[in-house]
Amino acid sequence: MTEDEDFLTKMGNLNVPEVNPTAHPKMVKMAIMSAERSAALGFWLVAVPCYFLACVFMYYFFNRQVSWFGAMFKLSEGLDKTPGIDFMAPIVLVVLPIVCIVINALAITHVHYEKNPGGKPGAKEFVISIKLKTWNIVLILISLVIVFAFIAFSMTENISIRS
Amino acid sequence: MKLNWFTRKGIIYWPASIIGWIILVLAAAYAVYTFIDIDSRSHSVSDVMINFVFNALLIGLVYSIIGYFTEVRGEVD
Repeated sequence: MTEDEDFLTKMGNLNVPEVNPTAHPKMVKMAIMSAERSAALGFWLVAVPCYFLACVFMYYFFNRQVSWFGAMFKLSEGLDKTPGIDFMAPIVLVVLPIVCIVINALAITHVHYEKNPGGKPGAKEFVISIKLKTWNIVLILISLVIVFAFIAFSMTENISIRS
Repeated sequence: MKLNWFTRKGIIYWPASIIGWIILVLAAAYAVYTFIDIDSRSHSVSDVMINFVFNALLIGLVYSIIGYFTEVRGEVD
């Protein structure tokens, strides 16, 4: 009986491990938009400005006396011959790449807010996860290059007009 | 209301219904009209190509936006 009592006493004094079910390491991370569909639409959103930049590059390559921004200005003038293109040019060349960045970024990012992570009271965590989807990332980078190129062109054009 | 007008094959939206085919035919017809219009006002082949390809890509963009919102939804990735 003494052994039984000892056993019961030992079992009663055992430290029970604490399990935090909310701290499960694996969770389903759903992005807001589908990555493949965003990449497919993103291709068409950057195709137009990429084609324009390709034309600028060819004009600059075959006319060395003209600067890069001079080539962009010449081709912008050429596009004005088509009705409707003159007012659409800023929308097409700046807004579309920005839309491409937004939809592809939404397709690969997942955000998660957690209060008391790991059981730490008072702590808060805001976790941003980025899926490494090649085509979405490539489209985001191409769109950023296009946006910066046209911002630089606009600034240069404004400075040259004022001077 | 689901509008299953197109199916996506890579980056191309292929018509999956009569309305999808009508939209494709209209887009192609507008592209041809644009080409003839630009050709009548241009002075050289490069002038035509620069303006027409720009317009063709815009038509493709509008067509893809319509296809994006009216796509037959498949598996979730």
